[in-house]
Amino acid sequence: MTGGGLAAWRPTPAARWAGWVAALVALAGVLAGRREQLDQVHVVLPFLLLVLLGGATGGRALGLSLAGAAVLLLNYVFQPPYDTLVVHKPLDTLVLVSFLATAGVATQLLEVARARAVAARRHALEVERLAAEREGLLVEAEHAHALREADRMKDAVLAAVSHDLRTPLTTITALAHAAAARGDPAGPVIAEQAGRLSRMVADLLDLSRARAGSLPVAVEVNLAEDVVGAALRQTAGVLGERPVVVDVPEDGPPLAGRFDFVATLRVLGNLLENAHKYSPAGAPVAVGAAREGAALAFTVADRGAGVPAGERARIFAPFYRAAQAGGGPGDVGGAGLGLAVARALAEAQGGTLDVAERAGGGSVFTLRLAAADAEGDVPDDADDADDADPAPSAALSAGLAPGGSGHTAA
Amino acid sequence: MSPPVAPAASASTPAPDATVLVVDDDAPIRRAVRHVLTELGVDVLEAGTGEEALALAAARGPALVVLDLGLPGLDGEAVTRDLRGWCTAPILVLSARHGEQEKVRLLDAGADDYLTKPFAPAELAARVRAHLRRARLAGAAPDGPEPLVDGPLTVDFRRRVATRDGAPLHLTPIEWGILRALAAEPGRTLTQKQLFDAVWRRPFGNAGQYLRVHVTNLRRKVERVASAPRLIVTEPGVGYRFEPPREASDAGA
Repeated sequence: MTGGGLAAWRPTPAARWAGWVAALVALAGVLAGRREQLDQVHVVLPFLLLVLLGGATGGRALGLSLAGAAVLLLNYVFQPPYDTLVVHKPLDTLVLVSFLATAGVATQLLEVARARAVAARRHALEVERLAAEREGLLVEAEHAHALREADRMKDAVLAAVSHDLRTPLTTITALAHAAAARGDPAGPVIAEQAGRLSRMVADLLDLSRARAGSLPVAVEVNLAEDVVGAALRQTAGVLGERPVVVDVPEDGPPLAGRFDFVATLRVLGNLLENAHKYSPAGAPVAVGAAREGAALAFTVADRGAGVPAGERARIFAPFYRAAQAGGGPGDVGGAGLGLAVARALAEAQGGTLDVAERAGGGSVFTLRLAAADAEGDVPDDADDADDADPAPSAALSAGLAPGGSGHTAA
Repeated sequence: MSPPVAPAASASTPAPDATVLVVDDDAPIRRAVRHVLTELGVDVLEAGTGEEALALAAARGPALVVLDLGLPGLDGEAVTRDLRGWCTAPILVLSARHGEQEKVRLLDAGADDYLTKPFAPAELAARVRAHLRRARLAGAAPDGPEPLVDGPLTVDFRRRVATRDGAPLHLTPIEWGILRALAAEPGRTLTQKQLFDAVWRRPFGNAGQYLRVHVTNLRRKVERVASAPRLIVTEPGVGYRFEPPREASDAGA
């Protein structure tokens, strides 16, 4: 380390100054030998040249220092009486003063020119950078516009296709059932596949609408019991013999939230079908609702293989399918759109949908929506007195269901 | 669990001479629907346009109309409004559109029920059966719906008495009103507005929310599992429908 410094030697400012002063002194030395024959002009011009060169490469300070040294040398060596700092002729003083002034002005001009050059170079770089940036932005904007346009087209096509697919699917489904009723073994298979196709069409349509922001969402006060019941009814066909454990409190005021009934029903339906698809045969699927502070939380839990932590974000991407799904006992098929649709529908109504590990194995999906207070939100209408009916709020507190024991639906 | 208690009139046999008018511009759909209906033992008339449907309905007086919403020319909604002016046959709408607002508008215009394409043929058969049965009984029970028996639950609308396992079940007047309005027309989908108007007999601002709380309370009393209702069924975003208990078919399943 200590010995290797020579190779990387660069002149320090002090060394550079010493070099220039040495050069000046050497020049003076060379010229001094013939000072008797030389006119002062012959000395002044090389000196000025050296001062300007020094100033140009080393900056203003070096230029001015060299000018000072040059004045001293000029006077001491070249102006009679020689080898003294005494000036006899007034003209010599003029030479010294004008030399100093010329050197000073020239050095100053050099400095200004250098500063301008630096600034100009900086500006050129900045302009170049901005131009490149603008170009990039333009390309990006064009790209984004093209993407948006493509998205819009895709959504329009999807919506039209989804709609038009329903009519032939209706015929296929009906005729397949008829064939099955006649004992044709192909009938049930065709019916099942048509059902699968129908669900995919519905998912595609919802996803395309959600992406286009054209999903009709009507957020109002709805009850957890109502939507869970509708979801169980809607999925009864797909779930078949799968046992379902329902955990929705059935005494006290009903759990209420501000959400879109149809969208929430679709989310729960997709989650139930998903849970069924990834659960081993016979393992119950659990669906529940509970108040969590300001949120109404719906949970759908399975005893499947679970979702590895690294996959949890990806399972909500469209067309994602876990490897274990194929051939699983409850495989109902699908294009891997169910969870993407579910999350899009959850977010369209200001909610969230997440997955977590379930204690004891499997996954639990949680849909969180804004909670509401069913009692407080229902107007207490005095006009109902003529019906001799308690207002809903009173009906709520008095509404104790007899024998609300059964929490398990097959 | 509970012994099957079948209603006096079997729900599975529609009137032998019942005629159903199927209106759809898509011939394969008409054929598929005809297939389902023929198995129920009813006569089927087919119409491909709204104009044809109105002419056939006037000439033949069908017991039920199965009507596609998306007809060319005179559309399903216009046909519904026209029919409701002079025809009492229930109207079951088939729709490939999913908009709830559209369904509500149709039901408010006088349709009785709707099915979204693609539907399961068994569902269509069940709905048609329920509507034909109701159409046949219309006028036969002027005092109110016939008694409801569902396992441990009995509801006598005339005497206004409900029991579960023999013990009296207290229903508030509004709960009685809702149950009565729904049970009077089994299978018919009542919009939230229709139900509210029937029970409260006057318009109300936030009818839907008010109604939902009462329906939930009613379910807790009459359903076996309130969160898995089988009698009072929610039609998402539209309203409610009463499904008469089908003990016989449950026992067979």
